Amino acid sequence: MKSTKIAALLSAGILLAGLTACSNTADAAGGASGPAAKSESNWPQKGKTIDLIVAYAPGGSVDTAARVVAPALEKELGVNVQVTNKPGAGGQIGYTALANSKPDGYTIGAVSAPSVVVTPLDPSRGATFTRESFLPLARQVFDPQVIAVKKDSKFEDLGALIDYAKAHPGELSATTTGIQTGEHFAMTSVEEATGAKFNLVAFSEGAASAMAAFLGDHVDIYVGNVSDIVDSGSNDIRVIGVMGAERSPSLPDAHTFKEEGYDVDEGTARGYVAPAGLPEDVATKLEDALGKVIQDPAVVDQLNKLGLPTAYLNSADYIDYWTKQETQYKKLLPQMMADAK
Amino acid sequence: MDVLNDLLGGFASALTLQNLLFALIGCIIGTLVGVLPGVGPVAGTAILIPLTLGMDPTSAIIMLGAIFYGSQYGGTITSVLLNTPGEAASAVTVIDGYQMTKKGRAGVALGIAAIGSFVGGTVATAGLVVAAKPLGSLGLKVGPPEFFGLMILGISLLVALAGKSMVKALLSGVIGLLIALVGIDPTIGAPRFTFGSPNLLDGVSFVAVIVGIFGLSEILVSATAQGSTKSLTGGLRGMLPNRQDLRRAAPAIGRGTVIGFSTGLVPGLTGTVTSLLSYGAESKFSRFRKQLGTGAIEGVAGPETANNAHANSALIPLFTLGIPASPTIAVLMGAFLQQGLTPGPSLFTQHSEVAWAIIASLFIGNLICLILNVPLIGVWTSILKIPHGILLAIIMIFLVVGSYTINYNVFDVFVMILFGIVGLVFRRLDIPLAPLVLTLVLGPLMERSLRESLEISQGDFSIFTRPFALTFIVIGAFVLLTPLLKIRKPAALNVDPEA
Repeated sequence: MKSTKIAALLSAGILLAGLTACSNTADAAGGASGPAAKSESNWPQKGKTIDLIVAYAPGGSVDTAARVVAPALEKELGVNVQVTNKPGAGGQIGYTALANSKPDGYTIGAVSAPSVVVTPLDPSRGATFTRESFLPLARQVFDPQVIAVKKDSKFEDLGALIDYAKAHPGELSATTTGIQTGEHFAMTSVEEATGAKFNLVAFSEGAASAMAAFLGDHVDIYVGNVSDIVDSGSNDIRVIGVMGAERSPSLPDAHTFKEEGYDVDEGTARGYVAPAGLPEDVATKLEDALGKVIQDPAVVDQLNKLGLPTAYLNSADYIDYWTKQETQYKKLLPQMMADAK
Repeated sequence: MDVLNDLLGGFASALTLQNLLFALIGCIIGTLVGVLPGVGPVAGTAILIPLTLGMDPTSAIIMLGAIFYGSQYGGTITSVLLNTPGEAASAVTVIDGYQMTKKGRAGVALGIAAIGSFVGGTVATAGLVVAAKPLGSLGLKVGPPEFFGLMILGISLLVALAGKSMVKALLSGVIGLLIALVGIDPTIGAPRFTFGSPNLLDGVSFVAVIVGIFGLSEILVSATAQGSTKSLTGGLRGMLPNRQDLRRAAPAIGRGTVIGFSTGLVPGLTGTVTSLLSYGAESKFSRFRKQLGTGAIEGVAGPETANNAHANSALIPLFTLGIPASPTIAVLMGAFLQQGLTPGPSLFTQHSEVAWAIIASLFIGNLICLILNVPLIGVWTSILKIPHGILLAIIMIFLVVGSYTINYNVFDVFVMILFGIVGLVFRRLDIPLAPLVLTLVLGPLMERSLRESLEISQGDFSIFTRPFALTFIVIGAFVLLTPLLKIRKPAALNVDPEA
């Protein structure tokens, strides 16, 4: 009996060693450019799965958009595309995983600005990635931020809310999904433009938990994207300010900040990237496939249903846009962190 | 009796041959998803969503729903037979489930898990029918301070898991908390105890820890010790729970249903937390609490009932508020959206027939899962006829593959091995493993809710005196103090008096 047990352990050990060895060879192949380039030319290989990393919890806007794109991309490329959620710390966990993944075309990611842009700009975050860690492939969405209160709230419009928050600084609480997230940027802009002051509460699990706390009356103001409001399907929410240049087609009755006399234009830009170092032919194939999928009328229509207006940019334009955002945030950030303290 | 009419209408559309077939397929796939290590319900459901796009919305959601709760049945099978949880919500089942297998009672464990799951799922669905709306808003009352109170209550159950030595239990619990600290800070985003390794940014994988600390350490123990697993008692009848088993399991199933149902209403509490709380409650309140850990049927019946009740009641926040309470539900929400259905209050007004057909299918699906699982017990348990040494090797394969497929990362395999050794040391020193698991799961939730609460109150601790929060904290404190207060309660029995 004893000898069979030892045999069993031994065989299991060998199995384990084999597994480790396999992964090592795979890493080695990925690192060496010669054989890698050769093997990538038949990308995507039938039967392989493309991992689409979403740096947010399931159910948020980035996630729902990715889950519309994934099956369409699957059809376009003829391989499985699986959405993998890696939430936490305003996306840093997922982005780090994405930046550290192998640039072989089998891992791509959905990114959301400002988080992906701003995380590497703040040294205290200890981010191990920068803008250059990613190859932006396509921008899909520009989703404005909104300020919302419950239907039974005493604040009928934005002016009333802002006036109250000016008279009672820090009394009204507002949701964000963490430090330096889109919501934090949006509220900092609002505070800067209006002189009002809010108590920002970070819900690091994401929009769904922020929404739950807001609907349960634990927080006064919901700050989030147009899509969060549309997704929730709730009848208890009154959107009193949209931070976009124009009214949102999904919320035609909600006034913009500009209409109410405040100069605030904040929103979330979402797109798809690969880890940098992707072989050129794979990058081209991915960019083309994503471009087709994103502009596919069926996908655009489905995104509209979710409250996500499509605003496609190709790889080159997306890189430009990203760089511009980066410059702007670099300017804003010191002021913002001083305010946060 | 509008509700009854609607429900009957729902049954009418759910009972079509086509929809029954999809419910059956979903249950089978779900069971397989539960059995296969590494493929949890989230991945399983997400992978299959594209296949359902061409289907009629009702059929699609019925099948995906069946996969979801079917996996709760399936996850038990590997927990009980192979000492490896097929998915995280069945993790705690390994403690007593595998001990039952070692006593030749694997069939009983699987049988009671199936029955408990059925009861929990059916009661939770009935709750969905009767009082979805008020219950949905009740769940929202649980804001960050109340959530924190709940976590205090959960962690207080550590006392119950202590076994012989409170010091050793606390040691185990504190180690769990320490492990839970690893990863990126939830509020300010700074990396903690990651030692510069990107593999640790996500924290230490819970499943890898569980698989190592229970599965691997058990193998190491049984490889070093003499003696072997008892072979099975023959015949299907001998495998099914008898009347005495059912009588003992009934209170545990009742408690599991209540715990699973109520935690399902709270956004953010997952099935894993639920089953742990249920196990904690069993070790606190069961009359046979002293036997827990040695193959007590309550340790299987409670958590397995709770996770299935949770799976079904977690649909309440989705249907009434459009809030996905757990990752799997969020995937299901994606499926709704892709079918052009917005989950939330408008679902019942705009797509009433679909909504009621789905609810009716939950009843039918739970029944299908029960009918499917009981006869299969014989098939699954025949795995145990494999000679012991070879079986250990097979379990080892499951452990390695299971921990690798969590993130497709070899790092998690090493985490699993490390915690296998930790588990062995714990067993040698007679330190209980359950407190570590409890704090590892609840610790991060407790930290997050504490910090969210204090942000809301701007640092004022009086926010925890809100009625619900205070109630939970007081009950938690009471549970903690009961060993000192020597509160009278039914004596713990070691043997069944009527046996």
